[in-house]
Amino acid sequence: MPVHETDICVIGGGITAVMCVEKIAEINPRLRITVVEAGRSIFDRENRGEYRRRALDYGEHPWHDDFIEDQQAKGMISMTMAVGGQALHWGGACNRFSREDLRLKSMYGLADDWPLEWGELERWYVDAERRLNVAGDPSPYPDDERSAPYPQAAMPLSFNLQVLKAWAEQSGLRFSPLPMARNLAPFGGRGACGMYDTCGDVCPTGARYSPDYTYQQLVAAKRVTLHDRTLVRKLVLDPSRDTIAAAQGVHQDRPGEVMDYRAKVFVLASGQCWSPHLLLLSANSRFPNGLANRSGLVGRYMNGHKFISAMAAIDAETFPGQNMTHSLISREYFRCAPGQPFVRHDTRVWESSFGKEPRLRDEGGRLLLGDELLNEWRGRARKGSSVRLRTYYDSHPAADSRLTLDPASKNRYGDPMPAIEHRLDAAAEAREAATLAHCTGVFERMVRAGNGRLLAPPTVSDYWDHPGGGCRMGASPSTSVVDSFGRAHDHENLFVIGAPTTPTGGVTNGTLTFVALSLRSATAIAS
Amino acid sequence: MERRKALKALVSAAAALPLLRVRLGAQELSADHVFLLRDVAATVLPSALGRAGQDEAVDAFLRWARNYKEGVPLSHGYGHPRLARSGPSPAGGYPGQIEALRQAAQSRGGRFGALPLETRRALLDDAFRAAGVRNLPGRPDGTHVVADLMAHYFRSSAASDLCYNARIGRHTYRAIQVTTFRPRPLA
Repeated sequence: MPVHETDICVIGGGITAVMCVEKIAEINPRLRITVVEAGRSIFDRENRGEYRRRALDYGEHPWHDDFIEDQQAKGMISMTMAVGGQALHWGGACNRFSREDLRLKSMYGLADDWPLEWGELERWYVDAERRLNVAGDPSPYPDDERSAPYPQAAMPLSFNLQVLKAWAEQSGLRFSPLPMARNLAPFGGRGACGMYDTCGDVCPTGARYSPDYTYQQLVAAKRVTLHDRTLVRKLVLDPSRDTIAAAQGVHQDRPGEVMDYRAKVFVLASGQCWSPHLLLLSANSRFPNGLANRSGLVGRYMNGHKFISAMAAIDAETFPGQNMTHSLISREYFRCAPGQPFVRHDTRVWESSFGKEPRLRDEGGRLLLGDELLNEWRGRARKGSSVRLRTYYDSHPAADSRLTLDPASKNRYGDPMPAIEHRLDAAAEAREAATLAHCTGVFERMVRAGNGRLLAPPTVSDYWDHPGGGCRMGASPSTSVVDSFGRAHDHENLFVIGAPTTPTGGVTNGTLTFVALSLRSATAIAS
Repeated sequence: MERRKALKALVSAAAALPLLRVRLGAQELSADHVFLLRDVAATVLPSALGRAGQDEAVDAFLRWARNYKEGVPLSHGYGHPRLARSGPSPAGGYPGQIEALRQAAQSRGGRFGALPLETRRALLDDAFRAAGVRNLPGRPDGTHVVADLMAHYFRSSAASDLCYNARIGRHTYRAIQVTTFRPRPLA
């Protein structure tokens, strides 16, 4: 059996892994770090413009072979498995959670508190924002105080978003540009934003932060050894202690050869799906329910947030296509006054071309040709604007919001694949109708104030976005899997970092929080 | 100098010539087919493009069809991802559809573009209904070549600019600062 020895073995190669590795290498450059990633490296940046063009023209996936067909999970929201992970094609939204997210139990008697103080998390937010080069403006809400400014001023609002901000603020809510990990000027070996507006698919300049750049830089500087296309199938315990002795993996080209990764510290950075999955797969006679699972909580409290969407029509004129991947955010409802019915959510506004697309026939069904089609299109498109509205709302998970091993679905090695089923806890379930009514009320308030109308009743999502959980952090080994640094209660040399450790999913995009937590974990891992 | 001018004129004339024959994967469009498609384009695309612009739109559409790749993974989406691959080339039915349109036009009195507008509308309406075209497809999908041509143009960034009479430039390079202003009109 080939053996690879290292100081720190990181399993998983997404954005939290690379941020953690970068930080560890800064703290202690002498440490040997190896990252093992199941997916492949997609480093052919020179082709990214062409891949983008074909994605636009043909709908082709711009990240070739960024998935492993037999390594998929039920209930997972993305198929991507590659060096860089899902952050290869994220939008770059970098909004912070709020103090309330960490104190849900003590402030509202709901869900659980996080085992760290807001001030502690806040300073790691600052570090995360610096590394991701986030462009943002200070929030207009005083409770969103910051200890340091954003590294860049906010993305300038497009003409459309300026119009929509003026429209939306008539409601009394205050909106800001959503903070984004996009370079306004070249930074970190990446280019400046050229407003190609395909950030969520592929950014041809690298302006939107993408982990592949950092991996390449770390590999080139010999700060990390990267083993891609290698699936870790099992963590192996030391025979005499409860520490992890090895991670056993298989390279895609050598399926019959098990690779033994031996390290002082193991870092599980495989996201909310594959981290608990590996722990469950690694069950043995001493840990029959899976490693790090004396509490029985591995794979439980899978979180994220549901969302409510609506489309509105307004009188103001906009020009769809200026910057459809940027949005406005109001943090008005990040806080809920104690004693009031509990509801927390962000409020987001985007430009939209909904209902403004060309049509082949007029309302009477007559076929439109040439100038007729253009004129009918103009008549609709230039009469007011469409606006996309959305709220991410607090969706507290039940203990049986779970990831389990699905015996009916196995990969080529015979490992059962994960199945995720999200469930609200009883209190969250009980307030679902009230939450929908509240968010509908917010949207109605906005359209009433701005002389608009909702085009249809708002709808609730059928999946949870920005998923996390499965290895939640806490002070007590009986009610959590890891401590606030991600160290497993059951194994002193095993860390789980990022999304899986979150007890609850917050009410806005999660990536910045996952990165901040990982940077904090890095300090404990490096020491 | 004269020689350079003559050469330039020759190149320009060559560029304006209709395509002779176009290979679209396994399919081939004859010069007659391309001519008919250009003839139809004058009816189904905006007059603001001018004849040259309409021809260019046809050429761009044919280039799109020629560069189509079968069996390629499509964007697998977010939320409820699934693996899907591109299907057979939409161009498979194009020669037959163009030929049917040519024959239908002949039975109504001659060349498509020379027929009265309502006759042309009726011909396309019949063809679309027979093929099952209900609206412009999101991308050309092979249901009918003319609907595909229209979709290829009308769903483009250029068509959006024409609709709004504004230099929006969706999905093209733009300096950030440019997008902070109301887009300038086209003309």
